[in-house]
Amino acid sequence: MIKSNKPKTLTFKIKRQDDPKSEPYWQAFDMPYRPSLNIISCLQYIAGHATTTGGKDVAPVVWECSCLEEVCGSCTMVINGRARQSCSALVDEILDETGDTIITLEPMSKFPVVRDLWVDRSRMFENLKKVKGWVPIDGTHKLGEGPQESPEQQDMRYALSRCMTCGCCLEACPQFTIDNEFIGAQAISQARYFNEHETGATLKDERLDALSEVGGVSDCGNAQNCVKVCPKDIPLTESIAATGRQLTVHHIKKFFTGK
Amino acid sequence: MPPHTPHTPTQTSTASSSTPGPLARHHFLLRRLHSLSGIMPVGIFVIFHLFTNMQMVFPGKFQHEVAFIHSMPALLFIEIFGLWLPIGFHALLGIGYMMNWVPNTISYSYRDNWRYTMQRITAWIALVFIFAHVATLRWRLNLWGWHTPFYLDAVNHATGEVIARGDDGEPLALAHASTAMALQSSYAVLAFYIIGVYGVVYHWANGLWTAAISWGLTVSVQAQKRWGGVCAVLGISLGLFSAAAIYGAMSYEPTAQEQAAIAQLAGTDEPNIEVDHPEDHETKSPEDAGTGVSSGH
Ligand code: SF4
Ligand code: SF4
Ligand code: FES
Repeated sequence: MIKSNKPKTLTFKIKRQDDPKSEPYWQAFDMPYRPSLNIISCLQYIAGHATTTGGKDVAPVVWECSCLEEVCGSCTMVINGRARQSCSALVDEILDETGDTIITLEPMSKFPVVRDLWVDRSRMFENLKKVKGWVPIDGTHKLGEGPQESPEQQDMRYALSRCMTCGCCLEACPQFTIDNEFIGAQAISQARYFNEHETGATLKDERLDALSEVGGVSDCGNAQNCVKVCPKDIPLTESIAATGRQLTVHHIKKFFTGK
Repeated sequence: MPPHTPHTPTQTSTASSSTPGPLARHHFLLRRLHSLSGIMPVGIFVIFHLFTNMQMVFPGKFQHEVAFIHSMPALLFIEIFGLWLPIGFHALLGIGYMMNWVPNTISYSYRDNWRYTMQRITAWIALVFIFAHVATLRWRLNLWGWHTPFYLDAVNHATGEVIARGDDGEPLALAHASTAMALQSSYAVLAFYIIGVYGVVYHWANGLWTAAISWGLTVSVQAQKRWGGVCAVLGISLGLFSAAAIYGAMSYEPTAQEQAAIAQLAGTDEPNIEVDHPEDHETKSPEDAGTGVSSGH
């Protein structure tokens, strides 16, 4: 597509919902095109000019955002059918990809809507609690220096540490539905992240037990959408397989030690 | 996309607060057994089965192979424990697991997502196909006028009576002829077999690939790719076997003697089959479907 061939007007079709209990509905908003827009700046414009294409004055659209540099994950929404961060979704790139001046925005479908594009992602936090996504260092005594880690191990764990709990991997996962028990790639990968930490590994057995339950790793169907949509390029499918391996070993051990 | 059903915003970690049932308590084990049961007894059986069928392209060989299988000791034991229990287990759990997903290949049309979705579609195909295949050939049931019994040879196994003999004086061999007549009975049956067999082959080959991930054998992307190559070769080989088998069945012209023997066997009441009520010989319209099926042995 040729860059100079830019439109005068953009149209946003937005799926709205007034509160968690009410029915969703669609509204369209027009705004003038400017170069270098991202979806957040469009939403800011629309909030300031809350008039639909039909000329109706409405309540401004609600959304969430914070860092504006793709590190907090709070601005995640479904843009033209795919989950991604709205702060790093550049309008020029979208126009080049789709060649269409209509852009649709929806809240993620796998989390309960709070209002409009704002969803409640606390299920991810609950799942982190289930898999004990932390290093246990609480105590009154001095623990001394932390363990040494090889550069390879550091690289591996650094890749996993980049997760920002945005929810893209869960939104795109066909096995993760709004009301089932699957914990999804994010929590599995975080469990691996902490299992691979020398001090974190003290909770490894408990994590693996949690990951064996209904909704655990074995509920993954290997569609591998998660790894493709993760904005942080986290090797999620490798985490799932590596955790599968830890589980195989864990359960064979349990079988023979009888614990 | 699922509807935005009213939903309690926060799911606290109380999903397991009520005492979990036995299915939930042994969730991990059942999932792994589900994976294993698809590969081990069932999958290995499918390989041998298709390999045997493939020999229909070599005249005479197929009869020999099938006779060998039928001569195996404790065949019923092998059938029940090696096949029916694992297949039933795999199917029942599989049906349960398939209640819990939302397809999204429209928004996320990755190849892997299609592969995953196909695994679920072929699961249903395999379920229906295997049942109908066994019911019509092995149990010799008449399913809505679809009556294509399989016979090893021209012996009424209920009475021991030999209905026809070949040139060598042995009971007339019918394995190839009855299979051929089954597949040639109508284009619908042929199409059903092609879809069914390839569905099963896909389901097995792809299942073998994903099982390696689930068990943690293939962790890295490269390892998954390599194993994917192995599974593809296995799947394609089975696909070629199947093509050969279908060709072998379709190109065979049953002799008048074979046709007569099969018709006679299908017509005489084999007491252990109980399907050949006189009205079953007429092709039925689906409306009187209910009466067309009676229980097998
Ligand atoms: S794993 Fe990736 S897609 Fe999933 S929550 Fe973390 S950053 Fe987002
Ligand atoms: S591999 Fe597929 S089923 Fe498994 S968590 Fe990722 S997207 Fe979901
Ligand atoms: S605002 Fe933080 S990721 Fe977009």
